[in-house]
This record gives sequence, C-alpha cells and structure tokens, in this order.
Amino acid sequence: MKGRTKVLALLLVLAMSVPVWADEARDFFKVGVITSLSGSLATGGNVTKRGYDLWADAVNAAGGIEIQGKKYPVKLFYGDDQSEPAQGASAAERLATQEKVDFVLGPYASGLTLAAAPVLEKFKIPMITGSAESPMIWKEKFRYTFGTIPPVNYTGSAPINTIAGLNPKPKTALILGSNDTFSKATAEAFQDAAVKAGIKVLKFNIVPSGQDLIPYLSAAKAMQPDLIAFGGHDEELIKLVKALNQINYTPKALLMHYGVTEPAFIEALQKSADQVFGASVWTESIKTKGEVLWPDAKSYADAAMKAYNVPADYTQAGSSAAGIAFQMALIKINGVPPLDEKKRDELVDALEKLKVNTFYGEIGFATEGQFYHANVGLTPLTIQIQNGKVVVVGPDSLAESKPLYPMKAKK
Amino acid sequence: MELLPQATVDGLLIGGIYITIAIGFSLAYGVMHIIDFAVGEWIMLGAFLGYYLNLWSVLDPFILLPAIFLVFAVIGYLIQPLVYRVISGKKGNPVLMGLVFTFGLALMFRGAALTGFGFYSHSIPSAISQDSFFIEMGSVFITIPYVRLAGLLYAIAITLVLHFVLKKTDFGRAVRALSQHREASGLMGINAKRISSYVYGIYVGLSAMTGVIIGSIFTLNAQMGGEYTILAFFIVVLAGMGYLAGVPWAAFLLGLVQSFFLIYLNPSYTLMAVFGILFTILLISPKGLFGRGV
Repeated sequence: MKGRTKVLALLLVLAMSVPVWADEARDFFKVGVITSLSGSLATGGNVTKRGYDLWADAVNAAGGIEIQGKKYPVKLFYGDDQSEPAQGASAAERLATQEKVDFVLGPYASGLTLAAAPVLEKFKIPMITGSAESPMIWKEKFRYTFGTIPPVNYTGSAPINTIAGLNPKPKTALILGSNDTFSKATAEAFQDAAVKAGIKVLKFNIVPSGQDLIPYLSAAKAMQPDLIAFGGHDEELIKLVKALNQINYTPKALLMHYGVTEPAFIEALQKSADQVFGASVWTESIKTKGEVLWPDAKSYADAAMKAYNVPADYTQAGSSAAGIAFQMALIKINGVPPLDEKKRDELVDALEKLKVNTFYGEIGFATEGQFYHANVGLTPLTIQIQNGKVVVVGPDSLAESKPLYPMKAKK
Repeated sequence: MELLPQATVDGLLIGGIYITIAIGFSLAYGVMHIIDFAVGEWIMLGAFLGYYLNLWSVLDPFILLPAIFLVFAVIGYLIQPLVYRVISGKKGNPVLMGLVFTFGLALMFRGAALTGFGFYSHSIPSAISQDSFFIEMGSVFITIPYVRLAGLLYAIAITLVLHFVLKKTDFGRAVRALSQHREASGLMGINAKRISSYVYGIYVGLSAMTGVIIGSIFTLNAQMGGEYTILAFFIVVLAGMGYLAGVPWAAFLLGLVQSFFLIYLNPSYTLMAVFGILFTILLISPKGLFGRGV
C-alpha cells in the first residue's frame, strides 16, 4: 500500500472503532442536560442548571448511585439550547449520538422541551424535565419524556381560586400572556379558572414576547380591571410591574406565574414586588419528608443557599427532584452504566411506577389522561411576595400567612 | 375614539425611546460608513455602569447621564482607531469588514458581560419611574408616565443638540464634509482620523446613556443588546442610512404603529405590522422614508 492509502485505511479503522469505545463498560452514568445557558431564557435556564448540578454534586459526594452494592457516580454533559427550539433539538441529537448519554435532564422552557422530546424519542433516551410546565408537552404523550413540575392547567387554577375567595371578590380581570408555549398555556389556564370562579374576563390577549406594553396597559386602565393576570417569563414580569407603576395603576390583585419566586424578581423590583401573587408547587417552608439526599424542603434550601448563595425556587427544586426520580428508578431496575436500549426501556417502565417521597414532595408520574407523564403528586400553592419574601397564602390548609389584599398603591 | 389621544401619546413616547437608540448609530454610519453591530452592547454596557453607579451613589440615573456619557465617549474615542484600521484597509470590502469586526466586538462584550454581570435581569430605580401625569377631559383621558416623558425630552434634546452642532459649529461642518466626501475633506485640511474618533466617541457615549434610560424604563441584562441592535438598524434603515434628520420621524412612525396596533388591533401582530410597514416603505423608497439615505 502507498503512504496515502495507508493513512486513509488507518483513519477508516479509527472511525469504525469509535462506537466500540463509546459503548465500552464504564463505571459512571453519563447524564445529558439540555437547558438554556444563553439567549433570552438564560435566567431560568441557569436556575435549572443549579438544580441539576446540586443533585449531581450531592450524589457524587455520597460516592454515587448505589446499585447492587456498588456506587456509580454521575457525570453531567451539557447541551446549551441557546433558548432556541432548533438548537434544543440539535443539542438532544448531539447528546444522543456523540456523548451517548444514559438519560437526559430536560430544558427549562416548554417550547424547548417540545423540540428536544421527539429527538430523544427517536433514540429511545428517557428525559425528565425539571421545569417545563406547558400541557402541550403531555398531550403529545411522549413515552420517554417526564416532568417533575405539574402542568399549568393543573396548578394555574389555585391562585385564581385563592384570589376569587378574597373580600371584596374581584369581579373583572385582564388576562394576557406572552407568545410562547408556556406563557400562552398559563394565560389560558388563568382564563379558564377565572371564568369558572365567576370573574368576568374583560380582555384576553397573547402579546409578542418582550413587547413594550405601555399602550396596551394604558388602554386597559380605562376598564379598571380588579385582577391583572399575566403569563410570561422573568424579565417580562419585571417589565409589566414597572409599566403598571409608570401608568400609576394598581389593580386589586396582580397575578403572575413562574418568575415571581425567582430571586431576581424581588431584587429588580424591590418594594414594587410586594403583594404580587404567583403560583408554585414548592417553597422552602413547605412540610415534606425526603427518603433520599435531603430529608426535607428546609435542608434542600439550606444546601442550595450554601452552594450558590441564592435562595432556591420551585424550578431549581424540581430540577434536583428530576435527578432523584432517575436515581430511584435506576436502583429499582438495577441499572448499571452504560444503559442499553432494553435497559432504558425498563427505566421508563420504572419511572411510570415510581412513587417516592422527596424534599420536593411526592413524585408520581401520571400514566394516562391529559397529564400523561407529568408529576401529579404535588399540591398547587398560591404564593405572594410579602416584605420581600415568598409566602404561601393558599390553599387555606397550607397557608403560612393571610393574603395581603387589595393591593396597595406603590406611590 | 376615547383612546385616540392615549394611543398617540404612547406612540410618541415609544418613538422617543427609539430615537435615543438609533440616533448615535445613524451618526456613526453617516460619518464613518460603518454598520456598528455592537450598538446594542454599548447600550448594555452603559446600562450596567448606570446600574452599579446608582447602587454605589444612590443618585438618580438621570443625574448620572453626563458621567456615563463621559466615560463611554472616552472609551469610544480610544477604540475608534481600531475600527478605523479595519474599515480603511485596502483589502476586502470595508463596509463588510466593519460589520464583521463590530459583530465580533458585540459577541465579546456579551460574553464578558454574561461572565462578569451574570444572567439575571436588573432594574435601575428612578424617583420618577413610579408616577405619571393623568389628564381627564370627559370620556377622554391621557396617562403620561414621568420617566417616559423624561426619555422623550432627552431624545428631543440630543436631536436638537446634534442638529445645532452639525449645522452651526466648525466641528459640525467638518463632520458633514467628512460624511460627504472623505478625500476632498482631507484636501481641505480636515483630519479625518481625529474627527472620526470624536464622532465614534459621541456615538458610544450617546448609546451608553440610552442604556441607562432603558434600564430605568424597562430592565437590563447581559443579553439585552441583540434586541436593540436590530431595532437601531431598522430605524436607521427606515430613516435612510446615515440621514440623521430622518431618525426622529422614522422612530415616531414605528412608535405610533406599535401603539395603534396594540390598542386598536390585535396585539399579537404588532411586530409583524411594524416590520410590514418597514418593508413596504423600503420597497417603495429603498433609500428610506425621505429618499435621502446613502
């Protein structure tokens, strides 16, 4: 053989040998993480990253996941979806084909989850998202996709019902949502719940993400809605509160969903954040009993604060809980790395049967109906910012404080 | 009809913000023929300096504007020779080279800001950001937020100052000469490098001040730049590339379209309407609203 032919032959052999290396035995789990580390959703994406990292650090600090007497550490492989669905799908493909991960911890946003799920379905790799909340995900009935946070049509009615029960009862509402999968679903959930609670919806609109809403709100001010409910992400929520302050309009109640519990919301708005209502499924003060890693919500919150010097919110907690769900399911099936296709199928079956108490609450995934593969083991909470702190104000059985209502003008 | 005065006022207020975003960008293009894709990042960096200065000094962001301008004007003045070198090279297409160079600057600034400032959104509190004028005449009412009115007044002020400087001073004449014909202006004794450095410094300073106003009205974060770069680019294209006098009209037009769509039509299609109008005008008049662009 000539020199060039020899080199080509050598390259061919090397290329063919790559899959053999990738599948060779290893004593650690390869865990893919797809989330938004850059782009417009980077704030929430980094919250999920903290949750996933904290779980991995806690597992590795204990030596790894113990299966049949041997401990297997976990190693996270990140794929930045750049807050773009197409990049989310690419990240999923890369993690499946190049990194050959055993399972995936999923994106922060619902739209990104919807983009990554079909790819992982193709490669038969289980994914648990610790954050995505749109019901659209569960309507698709992906076999390999699960979520630890219940969808917004499961949680969204709780704050509306709490507010509807206050005195004087709000009679009218303005409901709007940002034009993305999660925010639209949130606004629709608020609208359905408001109608059921006997609150007249004066205006319902989906607006472009990041839009300057001053003209819209100035016009809405003329209608004097008692309740303003908004489905959006962190930055949009801050902008909305600032816009309401600027036009000097204070409704009786202002309700948002995710973002209110983010530390950035309170930091950016300071006193203007007070009395804003939100929806959640976890706070550091709720009573839970964990079987693994953290014994209760408080101990998780303390660990998170120690690690990142930022209070944990329910998305970060949900992300760590996603790791725990995989951990417990792996123990159930005696799954050791690397997981082949058969074992990954067993892992999905184990996740479907899983019932585990964690610091985050009970994890139990629905196996049928509209919430298919979403965690329905949690109680939706109504929260309110009171004196710069997130406080549970509903349902009555779990409330730590009475809601501050009606909202006081900030002037 | 009751909402017509409110829609008009809101459109003008949004237009005021758009002027502040685009006017420096237009000036830089007019003189240096550079499409500076880092404009949004200058806005972001100015916003962060305003945010930290406000935290440190507790002074109102509007009082901090001159200091922000000075700091960034010096930075712009010092960086300009680099930009000049890239766009005045003999090889390659200078406009394209400038675009690529500033795009690289933008990526670098954004990455550094993400690392240094983190990914959270912040807000710059101002004493005037929590109240508004309220005018009621029968069924007609108008709400004018103080902070946005201040933004509009600032936009009008910088437009008038730039107009005065360009039309009535020797420096302005030199800038205009440079913008019209670089070589001929050099033959008349104008130092193109120095004038370009001053102009770039003014542009960067104006953009940084805009960042502080945006941080006060909306929010600021390390990744905000891209959105404002696109906005600045669209307004300047609509006004006519490099035609400074067209910027306020283009900004007010886009602001009014946005406001009327949000109030009277379907808010979901606001951005589509804004871009639709931009494309239609450019189809009819490729050199912008007044046909005066480069």
